[in-house]
Amino acid sequence: MSAELKTSQYSAAYAGMKENLPGQSLAWLQALRANAAQQFADSGFPSLRDEEWRYTNVAAIEKKLFVPAADRTEVNAEILAEVQAQLLDGVWAIVLVDGHFSTQLSRLEGLPDGVVVVDMAAALEQHSDSLEAYFAQAVSDTENGFVAFNNAWFSDGVFMHVPANQVLAKPVQILHVATQAGFMANTRHIMALESSAQATVVETFVGCHDSYCSASVTEVFVGQNANLTLYKVQMEGEKAYHFGGTYVKQARDSHFQHHNFAFGALLARSDVHTDLEMAAECDLNGLCVGSKRQHIDNHTRINHLQPYASSRELYKNVLDQRARAVFQGRVWVAEQAQKTDSDMHNRNLLLSADAEVDTKPQLEIYADDVKCAHGVTVGQLDEKSIFYLQSRCMDTDSARNMLTFAFANEMVDKVKLKNLHDKVLQQLLLRFPQAGIQQDWL
Amino acid sequence: MLSIENLHVSVGDKPILKGLNLQINAGEVHAIMGPNGAGKSTLSHVLSGKAGYTVTAGSAIYQGKDLLAMEPEMRAREGVFLAFQYPVEIPGVSNIYLLKAALNAMRKHNDLPEVDAMDFLALVKDKVKLLEMDDKFLYRSVKEGFSGGEKKRNEILQAAILEPSLCILDETDSGLDIDALKVVASGLNSLRDPERAFLMITHYQRLLDYVTPDIVHVLADGQIVKTGGAELALELEAKGYQWLEEQAA
Amino acid sequence: MSASAQEIENLIGQEYKDGFVTELEVDTFPPGLDEEVIAKLSAIKGEPAFMLEYRLKAFRHWQTMPEPNWAQLNIEPIDYQAISYYSAPKKDADKPQSLDEVDPVLLDTYKKLGIPLDEQERLAGVAVDAVFDSVSVATTFKGKLKDAGVIFCPISEALQEYPELVRQYLGTVVPETDNFFAALNAAVFTDGSFVYIPKGVRCPMELSTYFRINAANTGQFERTLIIADADSHVSYLEGCTAPMRDENQLHAAVVELVALDNAEIKYSTVQNWYPGDENGVGGIYNFVTKRAECRGANSKVSWTQVETGSAITWKYPSCVLLGDHSVGEFYSVALTNNYQQADTGTKMIHIGKNTRSTIIAKGISAGRSQNTYRGLVKVAKSAENARNYTQCDSLLVGDKCGAHTFPYVEVKQPSAQVEHEATTSKISEDQLFFCQQRGLSAEDAVSMIVNGFCKTVFKELPMEFAVEAQALLGISLEGSVG
Repeated sequence: MSAELKTSQYSAAYAGMKENLPGQSLAWLQALRANAAQQFADSGFPSLRDEEWRYTNVAAIEKKLFVPAADRTEVNAEILAEVQAQLLDGVWAIVLVDGHFSTQLSRLEGLPDGVVVVDMAAALEQHSDSLEAYFAQAVSDTENGFVAFNNAWFSDGVFMHVPANQVLAKPVQILHVATQAGFMANTRHIMALESSAQATVVETFVGCHDSYCSASVTEVFVGQNANLTLYKVQMEGEKAYHFGGTYVKQARDSHFQHHNFAFGALLARSDVHTDLEMAAECDLNGLCVGSKRQHIDNHTRINHLQPYASSRELYKNVLDQRARAVFQGRVWVAEQAQKTDSDMHNRNLLLSADAEVDTKPQLEIYADDVKCAHGVTVGQLDEKSIFYLQSRCMDTDSARNMLTFAFANEMVDKVKLKNLHDKVLQQLLLRFPQAGIQQDWL
Repeated sequence: MLSIENLHVSVGDKPILKGLNLQINAGEVHAIMGPNGAGKSTLSHVLSGKAGYTVTAGSAIYQGKDLLAMEPEMRAREGVFLAFQYPVEIPGVSNIYLLKAALNAMRKHNDLPEVDAMDFLALVKDKVKLLEMDDKFLYRSVKEGFSGGEKKRNEILQAAILEPSLCILDETDSGLDIDALKVVASGLNSLRDPERAFLMITHYQRLLDYVTPDIVHVLADGQIVKTGGAELALELEAKGYQWLEEQAA
Repeated sequence: MSASAQEIENLIGQEYKDGFVTELEVDTFPPGLDEEVIAKLSAIKGEPAFMLEYRLKAFRHWQTMPEPNWAQLNIEPIDYQAISYYSAPKKDADKPQSLDEVDPVLLDTYKKLGIPLDEQERLAGVAVDAVFDSVSVATTFKGKLKDAGVIFCPISEALQEYPELVRQYLGTVVPETDNFFAALNAAVFTDGSFVYIPKGVRCPMELSTYFRINAANTGQFERTLIIADADSHVSYLEGCTAPMRDENQLHAAVVELVALDNAEIKYSTVQNWYPGDENGVGGIYNFVTKRAECRGANSKVSWTQVETGSAITWKYPSCVLLGDHSVGEFYSVALTNNYQQADTGTKMIHIGKNTRSTIIAKGISAGRSQNTYRGLVKVAKSAENARNYTQCDSLLVGDKCGAHTFPYVEVKQPSAQVEHEATTSKISEDQLFFCQQRGLSAEDAVSMIVNGFCKTVFKELPMEFAVEAQALLGISLEGSVG
């Protein structure tokens, strides 16, 4: 494969910028970065020949040659206003501007003793030992070119550590802001919950109207009986490229809920992988609302490694104009993972003649005593429901709009945080002005 | 008909039945009541031969034969019928096909000729009427898409067709609304016969309002702790199981 | 007490019954493949010139192609130069003019397989073309079919008698460049069946081809071409067996179906090639390309397959739904046991308006086998109001096997409705106990459950084949078919 690949222009530029990356004094990290840079030089970004990328062409990344932001961006009034608009009330907030931590914009006062929420550059100085134990443990360089790239290039991110039995009273919000054309933000997050700890994290992505690239890799470790809810709200600018990978290791009896909202970006690819140990549970939800020429690709992989684990997954796509969505969900059940209970569904609505969806839900089962199901639908709204609404005096168009909105809103209703729910609903309403539904009706 | 002596049963290392004695004669209706966890379902499973239970002591003699040594299907063919607490679903197998296969397996065992499709259909239709069931019920896969009440009624229909000697009902009344309960009870009453015995396992007294038992036993902590007539059930309902546990202590 | 998982597994196991070898004199090419071998093969068959050209074009293209490796398969490399590409009973040299002239040893072979070819014992209502290694040895009921205008003959004969008809359609559904094994088949195919149903004709009987691999170290490459002209109807059955041998043998067939306006083709397969022994030694590599084009409006193609044999099965009978209102169906039962691997499914390509497709795939995995469903439903932008319903169910028997489902759904048309459902479950101990409590033996209970699991597919099989399918799965069909 590499024979046909020209060496990535990014690889050529790496030598000139690697000394500015954090963690220079850590031998283990330097080795990891060097390996990853080599891995990336060998493989490059994924191509359409790669089964996991067959519907998503990322050649533009190579063509555009985004520049990793070397320094912190100065905060101006415009950025400040955007941040204020996006930060939720009642959260601990950590703000990353163009891939670098902003002390000025973040709000981390009053964290309980023993709880760590700190930017990655600082964490590499203060918590390097505990970071070493987590780094690259949930995902390796060989997963795909973006992971290798992130390992070598990441400039900052968040390290969160919640000790055993600690229940975080407030959610942690990680806000990514992209402000400059042609820039690339490479962020790396590590979230670790010790046994029986509990936390909620909201990741928000916003950006300017120019073309930029936001790439992040998150490694998550949910300890025994611990519980993490992770919301991702992707509202990147309309010319943006977004790549986000979330790789989760779930210990025995742990719970992980993920809510993945994709509203923005020209090209967005999101990967969510989770490894389930004994009796662990995961719940993966996704909603993509695409229009214009958006291409939104969601990949999930659930590995049932041990018995009695259960997984639930529901991803929905609503596509208008020339938008295209890709869904690939893969459930893998190991030979010893008896009593696995897994259920995966993907539902799609195409609203225009030029919209397209490619979906590929997969079950790979090596155990025998399992209950696994998956389903896909692509199609129109339920004719019976339309008729019902008509019989309640609604015209066909209003009925359709209402049902389309309801189709998407089911995913929004799963958001438990009130102020986040309202914010996501707002995003949805922005995209369904025709639904004729006032927020206060709901 | 059935004589159980000093029956001890464990699941894994955990003893569940701890010396149970029970004598059931033809024509009798026995009710076994008891709090959750007393071992009621264990008793029905052990008598019908479900895997996962270890008999550590005691015996169960059914019509002169060692019941516990028999394969589950042999017990069934010998006339021991279990109405399941949670009837099992078998997608793709129609109810009527299972019934016919079961009836013919039993007839073959008793050296009787197999019934042909026409006779069988006539027989089933009769019984269906008895249980106020819908015909279309027969052609659905076994229990698939049945409501809770339909599943329980279907168990009674199967009993009506197989005409067992000993009918064990494992919480057949649980989860039924009052109308369904009445239908199930009238079906059971119509099956009462001097040649047939019933062992009704129930958590609630309600069923016994409609199917009057001859003998009521209370099972607690793996043993029969009290035996009486139908009035015992009423007393239990009024005073609760706690009353007995206190008495036992 | 009630049956354990191990016992359930034993109930599924069955010995291969068709593994005998027929001893007779044969003409066999030495192993190896080059242009000379192809020329010789074409010459023996007395083919028209265009065929040799076609074969050589395919061969040259094949040499440029890499062997595919994307399926969920574990496969030993195949040495294509170690295979003999032609083997035929000697007596074929002067082709038998009637059944009386067919070698009695051959007639016996088919009789043993339950396919009597002689006049008295023929299957009523089924015309059979018997293909033995590389050649067709007998075709029954030819006269009766001819009266109806139906052409049913070995494709080698069709190339001599109806060269223009064959030329018009051959390779138009599966081009010689389509895939590695299709290219190989185009270069070296030796025989197979040709069917043409003229306009407005409803074929008066079931047509059937029975394939038998006998010789060692040979490959079987047959080619089937069925054309249903406007307003016609045909039901075609295919059966396959092979002797037990320790080496893997390659079977790379191509089947092309063409349905014109309002025509209907029903194609059923019971595939029981030798699957290898219980340790995974030997068995047929069954790499088959089957594709139908519903070219006409309101045309319909229905594939039904029961796959129990072969060490490795790799096939995806497909429908290209070109005509408006055309219909594609795929019904499949794939049973794998021991070390068998099956990677099978279908492709439904919706191009015409109001096209409909249905996919029902049932996989049963036992032993250490791997059973994969792989399917594509593609709705092109032109396919307004296309509909697809897919259901894939897997049943697991034992804890060393695997069941996998890989559906691909690609939709470019907003009015399309596509629905895919899949489940995986096992024969549970609860189900067995329940059946035993109703007086059934564990063996009967497993039969009943497997049968219930498969019945939506079995009911699509013509009666004669339903019986064969029953025997293959070792289960009773009573009360569940029809």
